[in-house]
Amino acid sequence: MNLPTEDRAPGPDSVPAVPEAGLVIPTPAWARARRSLRLPAFWLLIALLLVGGWQIGALLRQVAAGYPAATGLAIGLFGLYAVLFVVFVRSLDYFEREPPLLLLTALGWGALTATATAVRGDAAVHDLLAKLVSPAFAASWGPAVAGPTVEELAKTLGVVVIVLIARAQVNSVVDGFVYGAFVGLGFQVVEDVVYALNAVALAGDGDSLRPVVGTFLLRGFLGGLWSHTLFSALAGSGIAYAALHHDRSAWRRWGAALGALAGAWLFHFGWNSPLLADGFGYGGPGVLAALLIKGIPALLLVTLLIRQASRREAGYYLDKLVGDERIATVRELAALGSGRTRTAARRYAQTRCGRPGRRAVRRLQRAQALLALELSRGGRRAGRYRAVALAQRELLEARGHPDAYAPDSSSTADWSWLVGCLCAAALAVALALAIRALGGS
Amino acid sequence: MRSRLLRNLLWSLAVLAVLAGLSFGLPALDNAVASARPVPAGVRYDIGAGVSLVPPVGAQLDVAHTVPGEDEGTALFLLGGVRYSVRALPFTGGLDEVTAQLRESITRTRGYQVTGAEMPVRTDAGVAGRQGGYTSPGRQGRYCAFLAAGTAVEVTFAGGDLELHDSLQALETSVQSITFGRS
Repeated sequence: MNLPTEDRAPGPDSVPAVPEAGLVIPTPAWARARRSLRLPAFWLLIALLLVGGWQIGALLRQVAAGYPAATGLAIGLFGLYAVLFVVFVRSLDYFEREPPLLLLTALGWGALTATATAVRGDAAVHDLLAKLVSPAFAASWGPAVAGPTVEELAKTLGVVVIVLIARAQVNSVVDGFVYGAFVGLGFQVVEDVVYALNAVALAGDGDSLRPVVGTFLLRGFLGGLWSHTLFSALAGSGIAYAALHHDRSAWRRWGAALGALAGAWLFHFGWNSPLLADGFGYGGPGVLAALLIKGIPALLLVTLLIRQASRREAGYYLDKLVGDERIATVRELAALGSGRTRTAARRYAQTRCGRPGRRAVRRLQRAQALLALELSRGGRRAGRYRAVALAQRELLEARGHPDAYAPDSSSTADWSWLVGCLCAAALAVALALAIRALGGS
Repeated sequence: MRSRLLRNLLWSLAVLAVLAGLSFGLPALDNAVASARPVPAGVRYDIGAGVSLVPPVGAQLDVAHTVPGEDEGTALFLLGGVRYSVRALPFTGGLDEVTAQLRESITRTRGYQVTGAEMPVRTDAGVAGRQGGYTSPGRQGRYCAFLAAGTAVEVTFAGGDLELHDSLQALETSVQSITFGRS
């Protein structure tokens, strides 16, 4: 099909590179969830979830009894916040999406088992610091020492248990990141609900909703982006690396797992430490700046790591599609490599062919990803996805948009980072002002 | 298959061992270390938020339940079987509200009940407060609330009948020694 000159795609010299393939071990076609029932780790998981659920349920019932409205609002707000995070983390896992039951398990481990462990362990470490050093030291540094030591270990065990019960579902470092993030998210939601209800109790104003909103803004947003979700995601990546890289020495695998856990510990320690807590003496804006200084290194490091791992995972799956231009052109393969370029391709299709074009590109991309995944597993259902991809291809060709990619989408990266940072900073300032208006500090 | 199950079992036990270490090992270690520390007789103790007092002679500080701080602080002293708790915190309301808040925090615990009427009380430095009595299973107690310069002080002490009777004078003296403001 010939296109008018101005509609032609740029020449081969501007073809972007397909991401390099990294180590990915696809889920074998024979993998079945019910096989997990035979494993001791599965029954251990069930027992620990039940015990944790009972303990956390009792804790929440006790706190909630005096403040039913505040409890309802806290659960609603942090639950909504969790949904947004789930959507975001799932978007990282485009090619080989994790089974919802396993994601729910990771969430449950963080919300129930890890929090129940932390309630006892944190208090013990805090008291030990008071006894062995001094009450003043425990008051200042207790959260920085107890929090990461107990909580990071308890949360990381959740990813270990996922590996034990569903080893075949942990296919790449990205999967470890996703499971870790879900464990951290579960932990963070329960912890934040308890914090919010404690704030209500301390305010001494009955079943008041203001402390809940203040806690939601402070802990959910200003402290949410780089706290438990991020720390656990980092530690989870290390566990996945150790579980997958059997071609590497045990030292290297264990070193990576322990290094990632140490990184999570260090970032958590820095986040909880009293350093810069006074906000350089500049009140609210200073505290906000201190939060950013403490949190941004962790956010940047983990973002870079996961970006690299995601590209390598994408490279592995995209390799399966190379060579059949009717299924995926070279430019489409490059566009499939990241969420940003996938979105850019859809937007570009919308500018050229309207909403139907955008929809067709989205379906084509999904069919391409599923076909790549199916081919990596042996390809029993490959024909079905191939047919969907070809159907969308014909639809796009009929609309004069045969190549589902966006020219120059890679050069927009710098601007999107800058715009993203500016939006985040503006949001942070707005939230800090909102918290101040609500009576927070 | 058997070796896989065995490996899975061993890893499961390792996970359980680490969790048990965090949930039960650390608290056991904590319980094994004594938390009571003697406090020098006649020397003022800083509770936090600029509030200080002279602890009763022979009292010990429970460091596990003591949290000093710039803006607020808590201290728990042990005098035999009597627990003497002092909390200093910023407060924007009046004395009646501080007292009501303290009373509510006592009665929130199941089995705790306020008894009798509240009476005025005054520290040696002249700060006015209110005090009342309460009971809990097997123990008698007293609560006092003070307010000065935006800082509230909540005091409770409780013990078995005989122990409390023997320590009452020393505890009242200690409460009256409370001062506000950083020197």
